[in-house]
Amino acid sequence: MADSPTTTARPIASIRARTLQLTPPRWVAFCRGAAPIVIGVALAVLLQFYANRWFGGYREKILIDIGINIILAVSLNIVNGYTGQFSIGHAGFMAVGAYTAGFIMYYGSFWLFGDTQFHGGILSATTDPRGLHGPGFSGGDLLFPAALIAGGLVAALFGFIVGLPSLRLRGDYLAIVTLGFGEIVRVVIETTGTVLAGDEIGGQPWYRLLNRVGGPMGFGGLPIYASSFWVWVCVAATVLAAYRIKASTMGRAFLAVRENEIAAASLGVPITRYKVRAFVIAAFFAGVAGGLFAHEIGNMLNAGELGFLKSFDIIIMVVLGGMGSISGAVVAAIVLTILPEALRSVSEFRMIAYALLLIVMMIARPQGLLGIHEMWDLPYFRRRRTGGKTA
Amino acid sequence: MSTLLDISGVSLSFGGVKAVSDFALKLNPGNLQGLIGPNGAGKTTVFNLITGVYRPDAGAIALDGRPLIGLPPHRIAQAGVARTFQNIRLFGNLSVLDNVRVACHLRAHHSITGALLRTARHLGGELAIERHAHELLDIFNLGFRADELACNLPYGDQRRLEIARALATDPKVLLLDEPAAGMNTQEKRRLAELIHFIRDSFRLTILLIDHDVGLIMGICDTITVLDHGQTIAVGPACDVQKDPKVIEAYLGEPADGAVR
Ligand SMILES: Nc1ncnc2c1ncn2[C@@H]1O[C@H](COP(=O)(O)OP(=O)(O)O)[C@@H](O)[C@H]1O
Ligand SMILES: [Mg+2]
Repeated sequence: MADSPTTTARPIASIRARTLQLTPPRWVAFCRGAAPIVIGVALAVLLQFYANRWFGGYREKILIDIGINIILAVSLNIVNGYTGQFSIGHAGFMAVGAYTAGFIMYYGSFWLFGDTQFHGGILSATTDPRGLHGPGFSGGDLLFPAALIAGGLVAALFGFIVGLPSLRLRGDYLAIVTLGFGEIVRVVIETTGTVLAGDEIGGQPWYRLLNRVGGPMGFGGLPIYASSFWVWVCVAATVLAAYRIKASTMGRAFLAVRENEIAAASLGVPITRYKVRAFVIAAFFAGVAGGLFAHEIGNMLNAGELGFLKSFDIIIMVVLGGMGSISGAVVAAIVLTILPEALRSVSEFRMIAYALLLIVMMIARPQGLLGIHEMWDLPYFRRRRTGGKTA
Repeated sequence: MSTLLDISGVSLSFGGVKAVSDFALKLNPGNLQGLIGPNGAGKTTVFNLITGVYRPDAGAIALDGRPLIGLPPHRIAQAGVARTFQNIRLFGNLSVLDNVRVACHLRAHHSITGALLRTARHLGGELAIERHAHELLDIFNLGFRADELACNLPYGDQRRLEIARALATDPKVLLLDEPAAGMNTQEKRRLAELIHFIRDSFRLTILLIDHDVGLIMGICDTITVLDHGQTIAVGPACDVQKDPKVIEAYLGEPADGAVR
């Protein structure tokens, strides 16, 4: 304990005064901040050109599924893991993003390029890599990321609206609101009319087209843009954002809200604002994942498939990986994407197995396998880092 | 000297229970004031009223002349009131260091874009927070436990971590709710020294709750005694100790023959 006081001066400098002193030069910060982004994009480029050659078309598609599930699990983790709220409507945000991006890519392509076909180039191509060297860059390579971001932003808006009840509701009640949201999205989309074919679109005002996204038949005819490149760029962006948030003042505030709301508030953390913020951020990335899903090869965008069961799939990943653990969510997303593929013959038991798994986890280890910790925080890795010495 | 924390005429009932009635208290800068009373007297409720957890039915609370009533708890923390909790409320799954860093939230610059892009300013802010938190932990002799999970700390360390965490908000007024609960005499003496030390070195004004007279008598300038929500005595320790009403509150009414 402290020795008896000899001075009445403040023992330590204020944080603000120190911030200036400790701020690194801009170029240093820029290099450190940009390095992971560069690495992420480089990996995405590598996979874009070689995934097909290395793994084959089928496995490349599984890899893309894995990537989309990683985005979904890591983003849901921001709500369910970081802030400890329980959202079971994540697929609803995904659907919002998917239909927004799909609408832009389908009808937007018509306005911009004159038809609803694929207009992507080297970045968006999902065909055999040998065909990639032909097209170069193309307008679709710009339109698609714009559509993804638009889908994310619209989903984030819905995230804000769904997050508002979290000011008053918690636990089961909030879960029911998110569930209701997901179902409302699905039902509303299912009331829309059939998709217009290219020759029917001309002359229609855009707001009429909003009602033309396929309804229960699904949004057919979407061009295939979700290449390995875009998927892995989005995965890198999501994981990086989730990590940087968790490791920042904002992230610690999220975790504090989850750990003890009253204490967090007493320390100056505006808990309601952070709860809504978690929903907005998570919804944004879910929307982006939806945009990728809508334009993935072999998928038919159908709101019926983005209902409660899809949300449940994502929850399982978060719960299994660890409520708050990014690396846990990533690993769980990988395992739980590959497993059903490997066990196709018994696929009808998947939901039963998931339900059992969820129940067992909730009883035995409600915080998930890793809890809020990352893999490199585990004692095993720590010991290796510190050379056998225990801290 | 002007009054820093000014509480007047504050009352609160829970259903039929008058938890606090017509409570008044003035704290001048640098005061170390005690608040004592038997269990259920309403002491913790007073803290909850000051920090905005509850809203009083009547009365006024002002910090530096600025009314606090109606402000949400995080705004009151921002205004400069920090507290600890009788039933410890640490962030159990966070490290000791992170517990303190959370509390730097108010006093550091931070933004979402800064965090996502890792701007120079963001890095500077995070580093400053980390240093600040480490130095606070060192003052409380918790520096060597910085990486441990808060829930794994021994009880006494948890209590001191709560104080360190409250200090990280850079408060003007610090409210300590039974910080000595569960400590032995020697630990209490060291805690008293520590409270004195932080009061002087951080230029704090402290309101200290204890349910028995022990810790408070030694270190507080003035003492307020609560019983059943009523203020039954105010004054210097030696006077309060002799006050018949206080003795009665602690020993029970002699007429009933009931001794608590
Ligand atoms: N949230 C609450 N709801 C109902 N009654 C409460 C609540 N909080 C405190 N009380 C009551 O108010 C009275 C004072 O409680 P408290 O302030 O915790 O006492 P102390 O801290 O002095 O032991 C007690 O009778 C207690 O039961
Ligand atoms: Mg109490």
